[in-house]
Amino acid sequence: MMRSNATAMTNAAAAAEPARAAGSAEKAETAAGAGATGLASKSAEAGMTGAAPSPARRGLPPRAKSALMQAGLFAAPFAAFGVFLLFYGVNPIDLYVSMFTSAFGNRYGFGEVLIKATPILLTGLAAALPARAGMINVGGEGQLAIGALLSTAAAVTMLQAAPAWFGIPAMLLAGALGGAIWAGITALLRVKGNMNETITSLLLNYVAFYTVGLFVHGPLKDPASFNWPFSPPISDALRLPVLNGSRLHAGIAIAVVLAAAVWWVLSRTRLGFRIRVLGANAFAAERAGFRVSRMQLLTLVAAGALAGIAGMIEIAGIEGRLRPTTGANYGYLGFLAAWMAWNHPLRLVATSFLLGMIAVAGNSLEMNSGLPSSSVHILMALVLIFLLAGGRIGRGRRA
Amino acid sequence: MIADILTGAVRSGTSVLFAVQGELVSERAGVINLGTEGAMLAGALAGFATTVWTGSPWLGALAGGTGGMLIALLHAFLVISRGANQLATGLTLMFLGMGLTAFFGRKFVSESIVGFNPTPIPLLSDIPFIGNVLFNHDPLTYVSFALVPLIWFALFRTRLGVIIRASGEREDALFASGMNPKLVRYGAVLAGGFLAGLGGAQLSIAYTHSWVENMTAGRGIVAVALVIFAAWKPLRAAVGAWLFGAAQALQLTVQQQGYPISPYFLFMAPYLITLIALLAVEFRKKSRMPEALGKVFTGSPGGAG
Amino acid sequence: MTKAKRWVFAALAMTFLLSFLLSACSQPGSGSTSGSGSTSGSGSSGGGTSGGGSADSGGSSGEASSGAVGTGGSAVGFIFVGARDDYGYNQAAYIGSQAVEEAFPDLKVLRVENVPETAEAERVMEQMINDGANIIFPTSYGHLDPALNVAARHPDVAFFHQGGLKTAENLGTYFGTIWEPVYLAGVAAGKMTKTNKLGYIVSVPIPQVLLNVNAFQRGAQSVNPDVTTTVVFTGSWCDPGQQANAANSLIDGGVDVLTQHQDCTKTVIETAERRGAMSVGYHADASSLAPEGWIVGSVWNWPDLFVNMTKTALEGRFDGSMYDGKYRGTLADGTVMLTDFGKNVPDDVKALVGEMKQAIIDGALHPFAGPVKKQDGEVVFAEGVIPTIDELESMDWFVEGVIGTIPK
Repeated sequence: MMRSNATAMTNAAAAAEPARAAGSAEKAETAAGAGATGLASKSAEAGMTGAAPSPARRGLPPRAKSALMQAGLFAAPFAAFGVFLLFYGVNPIDLYVSMFTSAFGNRYGFGEVLIKATPILLTGLAAALPARAGMINVGGEGQLAIGALLSTAAAVTMLQAAPAWFGIPAMLLAGALGGAIWAGITALLRVKGNMNETITSLLLNYVAFYTVGLFVHGPLKDPASFNWPFSPPISDALRLPVLNGSRLHAGIAIAVVLAAAVWWVLSRTRLGFRIRVLGANAFAAERAGFRVSRMQLLTLVAAGALAGIAGMIEIAGIEGRLRPTTGANYGYLGFLAAWMAWNHPLRLVATSFLLGMIAVAGNSLEMNSGLPSSSVHILMALVLIFLLAGGRIGRGRRA
Repeated sequence: MIADILTGAVRSGTSVLFAVQGELVSERAGVINLGTEGAMLAGALAGFATTVWTGSPWLGALAGGTGGMLIALLHAFLVISRGANQLATGLTLMFLGMGLTAFFGRKFVSESIVGFNPTPIPLLSDIPFIGNVLFNHDPLTYVSFALVPLIWFALFRTRLGVIIRASGEREDALFASGMNPKLVRYGAVLAGGFLAGLGGAQLSIAYTHSWVENMTAGRGIVAVALVIFAAWKPLRAAVGAWLFGAAQALQLTVQQQGYPISPYFLFMAPYLITLIALLAVEFRKKSRMPEALGKVFTGSPGGAG
Repeated sequence: MTKAKRWVFAALAMTFLLSFLLSACSQPGSGSTSGSGSTSGSGSSGGGTSGGGSADSGGSSGEASSGAVGTGGSAVGFIFVGARDDYGYNQAAYIGSQAVEEAFPDLKVLRVENVPETAEAERVMEQMINDGANIIFPTSYGHLDPALNVAARHPDVAFFHQGGLKTAENLGTYFGTIWEPVYLAGVAAGKMTKTNKLGYIVSVPIPQVLLNVNAFQRGAQSVNPDVTTTVVFTGSWCDPGQQANAANSLIDGGVDVLTQHQDCTKTVIETAERRGAMSVGYHADASSLAPEGWIVGSVWNWPDLFVNMTKTALEGRFDGSMYDGKYRGTLADGTVMLTDFGKNVPDDVKALVGEMKQAIIDGALHPFAGPVKKQDGEVVFAEGVIPTIDELESMDWFVEGVIGTIPK
């Protein structure tokens, strides 16, 4: 690697970045201050830069302190929500306990949480990946919907007689393509038109919703559906394998593998390194000669592909056909999960599981107490508010 | 037919107009608030509930503004005092607004109110064509008419306006002259929230006389987009809001005339039109954005704190 | 995250994958049953699990179980697609659930509102069954496929689905011939309109909606040949902003009688009242909202029906009962009703409607007896032909006199 000034600067920035992502501000400063070497990213993790180390490198007290703060910030919204529930005569401990037991108590419950977590994980990746590059993509919902649309279209027109080993990957590809195209619109508008991607992706969500409506009422309408608006069912061969005794389908495995893949690209490849630099310090990235526009386009399109795969999984794993309301709300849940995970792909697996648990708990909340299931949206928002207030998601645009 | 579309444009554009003017003020001070949707919902519910309890739509309007302001207060605190990312915070508050209002609003879905009714202005409303378009609306719509020149005047002809704009463009200058830009931003965001809440209240108290969860259906988000489209100018923002209303009215008229266009294209139209308007403006606008806002969009450190 | 943790994560991911490949896995549609560890076989048996099940009753994949269908539970479950206080569709169903609650005090009534018409509904129903419900009422059309899936997994639970067109061994559908009172309401509207323009605000072009619009127009046209019905789609089942837009726009265009097929009905009726137009109600009696302009309304009478259905299931008589299949309540048996007339409706209109109502009940008058022509003049039911319920419930066209376009 060339030891130019620019590289040094970007290396320092990049060194600071993963350390910050690991959640420890002091380490970041140490790493940045310790100067630039090409191995800064890993060494920051290990706490050693090869240059002047700080004596308290045992790290326990400050680490414990920050861990405690993190735990506090995490528990506070649950406590606040608990107080809220108390006002309505609901015992929050009961709710939280039942949340846990239904999630871990039996195979069915666990499966349900995973089912819910799968699209959240993928749309979370769709938000997290561009966020690492400094962009905010809230279009996961629309990208999911178009991915579902294209994969269903492929399934019912070309893949009707296809065997599973061919059909399922083909559908996956179609779903990814659909989401990628939709995100591509946002990306083009950003790169060529300099339009903020948050707003365009939000607006495009609405357009996507009506586009799906257009198709299920028209070209994709099931002729055997007595004119009700949904697509014909996809053939059994195209359905994802399911764990017997539950509805849990292979989609979770696909999602976790993709999360690992995204993590690997971000932290182990040169491209990923550059993406992170772009997100940490766009100015430095430009100075270092990165092709910013191309990277922005790439990350957004990749994000769209991920969300599109979520759409395909919804169809092939659960629904079996395209409906007008396929995928509603997952975009926002994914966004929440991503920010809760500080946009880190592996942590995202955990936060989407958590959100899945909370979402599933909403229904038991309603059945047992009469409170509407939308109350869990309040809990989710509270979690994020405490995170944001904690200053961890600090200045700038990413973790 | 044109008259009908224009009338419809004003009718359904008013709630967006309030939100747009409010967001305009906030963005002039350098803070973008995607939680406007949540603020509008809070205003719609607070206004509706207050009107149910007190019987007075004016008190309801006031309560609506206050509800929106409370959401905006949270946004201001997180963004200005805690340095949180503006876009993420706004989205979170949108979610919070949706959740809270869905929860607390349940018992109001079946309530009826004596809200604002269209009151034609004598004489003016008899003018052919524009009489109906402009002068046959509810009182809050007339307030919105007055609001536009008021905001313009406040922003560009008063000291307060200079201060607000300075906090968005040259906060160092503000510091140097002894004022705290953070405080100014707080004020601007709160004002924005109040107006957004008022817009939501107009929707529930004046236009539909009902409350249903998520009744704003994306108007808050459109409002934020429209502010950019308007290059942060009040009159253009008003035109944008009416344009959105016109798109909604147009789809109805098209249906009523029996043209064979799929309703789904028509439903998409308002959002597409907003996108296209943004694109059309984008090529000319770069120089107009308040500097502090620009930092939010490019993600450089030092957003609004 | 340390290196070690990273590898642990990767290992976990691999384990996930492998566990899927190795453990009991199968593609849905291969006849898997709940709880048992049956191994995969990928032939499809056409059962309800894949969600695209065949359209007749008796095509099930469940096995016989102890006790008759619907017995032995401690709860009854109701799922609603919207909120219960909407003065409309869900409120009507909710009132029915209240009747069940009163009639069977030993049964716990589980209710979940705002259940979307996706596979999410499956999860909610499964949870209710988990909580002891052996009788489930999915009350919205879009809950049908999820209900069929759940029904296949729980052959001992009785399902009563509202409005569906497919049944299963343990799933029966019920609905009412609501087009009959809607037709009569159209008669009243046709008589009372002064501009000869009626307006219908609807959400999406599904058959139930088109059927109602057509019935309304047919009724109005039978007493007033020049009348037209303008249809406006809002795209949503309950969006007051859109509803107000649509109502105002229609009235601006000369409509003086407004009706609707929406889940929540308040906004349209109140807007009409404020602007001096007349209203015809649907789903619920909203006459209190429109004291001057209310003509009449069409409503459901679910309480009696729900109680009867629950009783039948609890007593083990579900199989072979009239509810085990497609049950359609009618005007004659009181499942669907006309509300009272508004105060400004003249006596001769009331009398006329009364006569025609009796004629429908007696079978002498059918709203869709041929000749029935489409918008473009094509004859769809010939003279003397009386269409079947299936034909009616799968309508995808408008009758002549209706102004509006159905997306194709």
